[in-house]
Amino acid sequence: MKIAVCLKLVPATTADIRVAPGGREPLLAGVEMAVSFYDEYALATALRLRAAFPGSIIHALSVGGGECVRCLQHALALGVDHALHIQSPGADARAAARLAAAALRPLTPDLVLCGRQAMDDDLWFFPGALAEWLDWPHISAVFSLDVAPGKSAVRCRRRFEGGEQTIEAVWPVVVSCDRGPHEPPIPTLKGRLASRKMPLPAMTPAELGLAAADLEPAMAPTHYAPPTQRTPKKMLAGAPAEAAAELLRLLRHEEGVLE
Amino acid sequence: MTGNVLVILPHVGGKPKRTAFELLTVASALAQVPGGRVSALLIGHSAARAAGNLGAWGVERAYAAAVGPDGYAPLSWVRLIADTARTENAAVILLSADSIARDIAGRVAARLGGALASDCVGLRANSSCLTVTRPVLSGRLLVSADFKGPGPLVATLRPNSFAVEAPARPGAGALVPLTVKEQEKDLRVIATELANAASGCPELTEATIIVSGGRGVGSAESFRLIRQLADALGASPGASRAAVDAGYAPHSMQIGQSGKTVNPALYIACGISGSMQHLAGMRTSKCIVAINKDPQAQIFRFADYGLVGDLFVVVPALIAELKRKT
Repeated sequence: MKIAVCLKLVPATTADIRVAPGGREPLLAGVEMAVSFYDEYALATALRLRAAFPGSIIHALSVGGGECVRCLQHALALGVDHALHIQSPGADARAAARLAAAALRPLTPDLVLCGRQAMDDDLWFFPGALAEWLDWPHISAVFSLDVAPGKSAVRCRRRFEGGEQTIEAVWPVVVSCDRGPHEPPIPTLKGRLASRKMPLPAMTPAELGLAAADLEPAMAPTHYAPPTQRTPKKMLAGAPAEAAAELLRLLRHEEGVLE
Repeated sequence: MTGNVLVILPHVGGKPKRTAFELLTVASALAQVPGGRVSALLIGHSAARAAGNLGAWGVERAYAAAVGPDGYAPLSWVRLIADTARTENAAVILLSADSIARDIAGRVAARLGGALASDCVGLRANSSCLTVTRPVLSGRLLVSADFKGPGPLVATLRPNSFAVEAPARPGAGALVPLTVKEQEKDLRVIATELANAASGCPELTEATIIVSGGRGVGSAESFRLIRQLADALGASPGASRAAVDAGYAPHSMQIGQSGKTVNPALYIACGISGSMQHLAGMRTSKCIVAINKDPQAQIFRFADYGLVGDLFVVVPALIAELKRKT
């Protein structure tokens, strides 16, 4: 089976992020970057499927500027067969989905895997938009995925409010991944060294038949701010019973969040 | 810049969910700007019942599509929403930020040639654009962004983020039944089985009070204490990833980066250190209380009220105090 994985490099989830004066933009220079959390699970799923279905191949793909190289080398170090960098610095989710759809169509994958959300825009837009423009079905935020051999279909499990759902789709299909039971693998040193020597082809939007007008950002950010800074209004001390009574009084009468 | 607003109205048991009224309040405010109208689309087998009384909430037309939830076919939902949005010439489509919205909202936006804004905590219109405010970078920043088209804006609203107020101007509230003709093409993906977690308490994502336990709870048995405090408060119990990974609580209770994002009025964190990953899932809560025996725990930096102490002493004291009052 032919699998494609879409990857994005984003600020590490543990990094502290500050804002430029006036809130114009987040200050990302020097911030530690990492492959987006859920994309790692997509990559792990692809590698697991290839191991289960000998003869399968994996294409890794990343849309953006030079940062994509790191994502793709990570994927190559873990053993994906091909990597493709789509050069479009600053592309937003909608533009990235358009570009990825154009790049994936000729590759004719059976299954495209990606993360459920990118850990920078937290938008949940890319997988559904990609599937729409490929005119394929998609399944979002799955924590397990099985392929029925010879059936050209996937069977996934996903969580939703109050329970879990089994959902099936026929190939070709886009599946976005949630955190599953299999933790993402870590590349070996040998794999990492080898990945630096592997070819990393790149394509431009023009080569994919898309013009700048097709890739206009959907929204214009005007202001960034950290969420309201909380200074503990009160640290409650004293015997537990008194502290508990004081806390409940504050929640009822000062905050009005309890009846 | 707005125009007509279409609300995909969340409902259960023949009634709109509480979040539905947040969506309707926002919709009425948006539709006022250039004189647009609000319509609602309800999907599901009790849709018509839940659509009964929406005129008072400013709804002109309430479309009710009776598809069952058991054979959830996301592409049918996408088609229904996109077709209704076209019929209504909707400039804005509002959904509650739940797992169905996460499944289909992006696809609806792509089909209609518009844009998606997820988990909005603010949404307003002026004469030239729509402005959304939403968390990005796992809640580390809030961004405000303008949308000027082309196409409609599909926005999912984070529950408990907007005040609820019935509009001054009611709508006709006309019920429009929709018959869904299933298309072969839309059945390429279908949910075949639902396993509901039996639980009488509100969904974490919609809960107004949450009591959450972390690694400090120590075992699955002692997690009962978290549930007891939740019961005493009429709250929903939650858990950190550390507690879920250790097997103290099921994944359905997990709050944070790889779990649910919650936005209650009151969040009580018990024995939770406050990792960035956990904060990502709860930091928009209106009032945060932290109970932890480590005075250096990061959670205290994000709490409105902190209580340094052993949760096995503090939580029973809280339960006792709550029982004493009632």
